[in-house]
Amino acid sequence: MRSSPRIMITGLGAVCGAGLTLEAIWDALQNGRSAVGPITQWDATRWPVRIAAEVTGVDNRTLVDDRKLHKITSRTDLFGLYAAGEAINQSGLLPHRETLESNAAAQFNDRSGVFAGSGGGTYQSNYDFLPLLSAAEGDLQKFGSELSATVNPMWLLKNLPNNVLCHVGIRHGFKGTNGCVTNQCVSGIVALAEAAAAIGAGEADRMVAIGHDSAIEPETIFHYNRLGLLAQDVLRPFDRDRRGTIFGEGAAALVLESESTAHSRQAPTLGEFLGSGCATEATGILDVRPDGDGLARAIRLALAEADLSPVDVGMIVAHGNGTRASDASEAVALRDVFGADPPPVTAFKWAFGHTIAASGVLDLVLALIALRQNRVPGIATLNSIDPGIAPLPASSTAQQPRSDIALVLCRGFGGMNVALLVRGIIS
Amino acid sequence: MSHRKRIAITGIGMVTPVGNDAPTTWANLQAGQTGVAPLQSFDASGFPVHIGAEVKNLVPGTLIHDRKLLKFASRSHCFALAAAEEALTDAGIRPEPASSHRWGFSVGAGMMAVSWAEVQAVHQFCAANGEFNPDGLLDSRFPADPIAFCRTQTNAGLALLTRHFGIRGYATAVHTACASGGQALGTALKVMRRGLADFMLAGGYDSMLNPFGLSAFCLLGALSTDNETPQHASRPFDATRNGFVLGEGAGFLVLEEWESAHARGAHIYAELAGDGNSLSSYRITDSHPSGDGAIQAMQQAMADAGIAPESVDYVNAHGTSTLMNDRSECAALRTVMGSRIEHVAVSSTKSCMGHLIAAAGAVEAGVCALAIRDGIAPVNAKFAEPDPSCQVNLVVRESKRLPIRAALSNSFGFGGSNSCLAFRHPDGITP
Repeated sequence: MRSSPRIMITGLGAVCGAGLTLEAIWDALQNGRSAVGPITQWDATRWPVRIAAEVTGVDNRTLVDDRKLHKITSRTDLFGLYAAGEAINQSGLLPHRETLESNAAAQFNDRSGVFAGSGGGTYQSNYDFLPLLSAAEGDLQKFGSELSATVNPMWLLKNLPNNVLCHVGIRHGFKGTNGCVTNQCVSGIVALAEAAAAIGAGEADRMVAIGHDSAIEPETIFHYNRLGLLAQDVLRPFDRDRRGTIFGEGAAALVLESESTAHSRQAPTLGEFLGSGCATEATGILDVRPDGDGLARAIRLALAEADLSPVDVGMIVAHGNGTRASDASEAVALRDVFGADPPPVTAFKWAFGHTIAASGVLDLVLALIALRQNRVPGIATLNSIDPGIAPLPASSTAQQPRSDIALVLCRGFGGMNVALLVRGIIS
Repeated sequence: MSHRKRIAITGIGMVTPVGNDAPTTWANLQAGQTGVAPLQSFDASGFPVHIGAEVKNLVPGTLIHDRKLLKFASRSHCFALAAAEEALTDAGIRPEPASSHRWGFSVGAGMMAVSWAEVQAVHQFCAANGEFNPDGLLDSRFPADPIAFCRTQTNAGLALLTRHFGIRGYATAVHTACASGGQALGTALKVMRRGLADFMLAGGYDSMLNPFGLSAFCLLGALSTDNETPQHASRPFDATRNGFVLGEGAGFLVLEEWESAHARGAHIYAELAGDGNSLSSYRITDSHPSGDGAIQAMQQAMADAGIAPESVDYVNAHGTSTLMNDRSECAALRTVMGSRIEHVAVSSTKSCMGHLIAAAGAVEAGVCALAIRDGIAPVNAKFAEPDPSCQVNLVVRESKRLPIRAALSNSFGFGGSNSCLAFRHPDGITP
């Protein structure tokens, strides 16, 4: 199938409620420590849902040192820029560029691309208009005439969905092929798949792929809760008593390079991208098919692209968002593809919540750590697998991967399903 | 790069400020009709800018016979549904249960938009005294609307269209501001070349002509303030240009694998032959004066399509009518085209339609396909006074008949994303 170059992973970065480094997040996963706690961004004591996995105790300067950027970006962008910076640092791309002649450096930049997957916007960005609405007293004409004196002139720029793409480019000088995916929960993982495809098609030599989101805000939680999608205490993927998902926030990023360019600069290899699959169930915004149709097709597409069979897969990081419908149909899809004997299955959202647009990329970078450690972390909140769903080998305790290949699954509104395969480096 | 799949454009649909379908839009673009007028859909009289290019009198229910679905659709989703329906009808093929998994979807979607009424409700319940208090949402009288929530999701348009048309393959939504539509079509092209879909419904939709969207651009000072003379507003490349005019609309194309389109006897407008895509990495809203960034996008698109500047006969410019963009784009065109520049017809159809933001690149791709079919370069309307820093071969006064072997369409976005699409005549004509 694959005649294009091998695609190596040379840098990783992440931030979420469980930590600012992959080591810290991994440590939480391994030790069954959840970052879910009381919401601090507003006083939620009277709310039906009072919990989330927030990134707390981190000031903006720690995320992004450049204060000018704080004024023209949002919280989600700072997460994305931080994770991208970590991944780029680890890859050693910038010191390598320093060694190049100016023409070669310019060509390097033109062949370096960026794909971001973004949450796309928040309700609270509109709250910047609330004082103006008060002043206008419902009069649209007054609203218009007092606009310039009341609202930050940079309002639009602060809220551009493609800010991370823009500022990764400006900060690091990358000028190659690029995109910003705004496809709700699968934004990040689709961005990653497109980044890999760009290298595969020879459009770029290296790509930075980022997923980032910060969806913990009153109106979003209010609506999700009314739709019955949120748990009020614990996120329990695949559990008999699962009650819904819990919001998280954060970002994750990878640097991908063609094998030849990674090899020629003797870059550290942290893994290899093998293939991806993407399918929608055409079910509209909220509905999920109970038969796992879209997810099973996405997995089979990824296996075909990677030229692999189900038996080659060593572990599965499921979407496992903890909602009744998604987890049940996910189990059906896994049964459909892997039969009675799937490799160990885990899911990570119990530890740092559902980070929406960031979730697939965050799961993927942690899957690479799991392979490196040769350990599939348990789902610490899993008490008893739902007997009503198709049996699957998920456990509250750690398991061992069957091979150095991980399958990562990501699902979202719009009936979206994405599957991604990576090879890790077992240490 | 050897033996790559060729991709045919076999269906076009448009909802624009100059027409609620592609034939009307195309006729009005050729005639240089402007869609710019004082805003009608809300009282904008107090805003620094109160003109825009609105879609007029679209009745989505005449095309989309699913009232429940339309309840979930915002204004821009309605544009998208209507344009996509037209494109599929035009192509004479649509997803069937057996083929649905081989149909893909790629769209440039606008920013998350919350309606005036919804923000008003939040204001009333949570911020009546100015300070935001989230507990107001918990008031039992708060008009919580799960359908409105669904409409605000970033992939709501994707969800509605894939459901309505029964598309079950690869599906993506992208947003790189004004480059979104172009990048969505570029993504569709790549997805098809990768063999992930045999057919794609690809395009863009947007509407920021509401109090918040208009505010966003007024605050930046990016819009033309020709409030008293809307008939002259949006005059790309004119020495007196003073900003863009905010428009709205949608454009969709049906893309198909060449051989199978040919085999079923489909009418092929043009080949979507190449995609160029670069990042300026310069400033958020400004383009580089030298055209850097745009230059790479155009060069890549031509290289990707296997087209030399010598065979490019028409460029549909980004041409927003801002001082900076038009100058920078002309610098880029001169660099890329070299001595060919005097022979390449250039126009910006934003002179008629205004700027459709995330939909612009998709609609303008359709314009390029129609220009190739008819051998007509549409006029750059409203042009009166040449700008010495914009020396390109503009199509002025009236549209120009010329055989178009290959065309380019530029779309450059806030944030620095540059998209260029390359189109080729389906029959490989000679000049």
